Amino acid sequence: MRVLRASELPPNARKPLSVAGKAILLCNLNGQLHAVSNICSHNDKPLERGRLGNGWIACPTHGARFDLATGKAMCLPAVQPIAVYELRVVDDWIEVLVNP
Amino acid sequence: MNDTTIVKLKDLPKGEARCPGAPSTQQIIAADKVAAPGWVRSESYHFMGDEDISKDRYIDADYAKKEFANLWTRTWQFACREEHVPNVGDYHVYDIGPYSFIITRVGENEIRGYYNACLHRGTKLRASGTEGSAEEFKCSFHGWSWNIDGTHKETVCHWDFPHVDPKQYSLPQVRVEAMWGFVFINMDANAPSFADYVGPEAKSHFDKWGLEDRYIYLHVVKRLPCNWKLGIDAFLEAYHVIETHPQVAISNADANSQYDTYGEHVNRFISPLGVLSPHLYGQYTEQDIFDQFTIGDSSAMGGSAKPRLPEGSSARTAMAEMFRGMFEKATGLDLSKMSDSELLDAFSYTVFPNVFLWPGISLPLVYRFRPDPRDHRKCIYEVFFMRPIPPGGTRPMPADPIRLDDHQSFCEAPGMDPAFGKILDQDTDNLVLQQEGLEASAKAGLTLGNYQEIRVRHFERAVDKYVAKTS
Repeated sequence: MRVLRASELPPNARKPLSVAGKAILLCNLNGQLHAVSNICSHNDKPLERGRLGNGWIACPTHGARFDLATGKAMCLPAVQPIAVYELRVVDDWIEVLVNP
Repeated sequence: MNDTTIVKLKDLPKGEARCPGAPSTQQIIAADKVAAPGWVRSESYHFMGDEDISKDRYIDADYAKKEFANLWTRTWQFACREEHVPNVGDYHVYDIGPYSFIITRVGENEIRGYYNACLHRGTKLRASGTEGSAEEFKCSFHGWSWNIDGTHKETVCHWDFPHVDPKQYSLPQVRVEAMWGFVFINMDANAPSFADYVGPEAKSHFDKWGLEDRYIYLHVVKRLPCNWKLGIDAFLEAYHVIETHPQVAISNADANSQYDTYGEHVNRFISPLGVLSPHLYGQYTEQDIFDQFTIGDSSAMGGSAKPRLPEGSSARTAMAEMFRGMFEKATGLDLSKMSDSELLDAFSYTVFPNVFLWPGISLPLVYRFRPDPRDHRKCIYEVFFMRPIPPGGTRPMPADPIRLDDHQSFCEAPGMDPAFGKILDQDTDNLVLQQEGLEASAKAGLTLGNYQEIRVRHFERAVDKYVAKTS
């Protein structure tokens, strides 16, 4: 599903979107694009203001970190992973695969 | 050896003997094409006695407890790099034994370190070993929170806590000083400044290296099977190279390396590379030396393929020229004024208690050793490979740590130079034997060489001083 123009997501930007009823966060980490759930698996707080690091995002509320490629929780207080979504860029459009 | 030589060695005051029949490190460096700066061309050795040092420091669990009470609470420690907390609100959690600190950038030029415990019922505000960014530090248990400047923000259900004055509930802090891109902390409010702790002479060396303009390219973490001090001791001397790293000895002035101490907290060696070990004189050619040269970070040079040694050239001179060209091409820096020695040689400095800075180009490293908080017979060893930021380029993000399991080879870390990984594996194999050997030994102490093992003695003397709480 087309969600955003790639040019609207410059390096190190994050963009929260609702796609097919799911809260998704698009991230551009030094040119590498990721689509992950915008909801922290610890306490359902939004990730969108979290810090992007080398392959991870850290929840701003309590500091849980998630691997952007796999969604795996990297530290407490999170234990469960977050969802990650397949993403591609076609004609400058970012397309995200979201199963309803 | 004739009688005159025997008499001369015997008559030398203790600590003055050097490897016979070999040039000194200074003589090797003086013969280089591009001259070395003052900090390389100086010496600072001081004889410190020759009695054995006690072994309880490595094998006694109670000694480790005293270290947590008296040593780690009163020394400057490398907590993180500034690049780990680049923007206001960024934080990095540093742990040492049971202690934990949230190192936080609170202003463009201000970094603070908070004790990582909620002031309600003690829960860690941020998990150990992590980093992130915060607009506030909120506890995950009951939601008490603090602003990033450490002031108390909210007591949830404050009506139930009339005895809590928010002004008295700021997060306690440690001393923080940033220097050369490193963030150092000290739990002791009465400790000298970091500059005084290092001392003016050693600081004048560090100030010249531009380590603040490097970034962490590779970071590997592995638990070693030994006490943290045993791990440190192993890297304080090149005396072990001939037996532990025979492949390196072909291209290393191991027995004629130089050893220096600076005040109480800093020591160094300079171990020239590109020259044959005195142990191997007569057995190898200059081409052999050239072929065996180990670079710690060969991928930084665009690969490790080497041409034939030019006719009549020494391996050392040829390596310096080759390095200079390769490194200039790889980094875009002008290295025409950089000395052969700074390009080639292994410079190992330690800042007490537990950080090694290797400012040279062939081995651009930082080591950190920390005790395993649950087992005095294990330690956490880290190696950071540092690269210069490209001129005019943006600073890359520091590499995340690659954590190896206890049984894994260092060569399994993606990006690890295989020759260097092999060296670290060889050291690890000795360390488990040494830890167990000390526990099995009938001898009460360890015997140290006057010159080549002076850094071990210097380091362990500082350990003794802090543990005994004499200052």
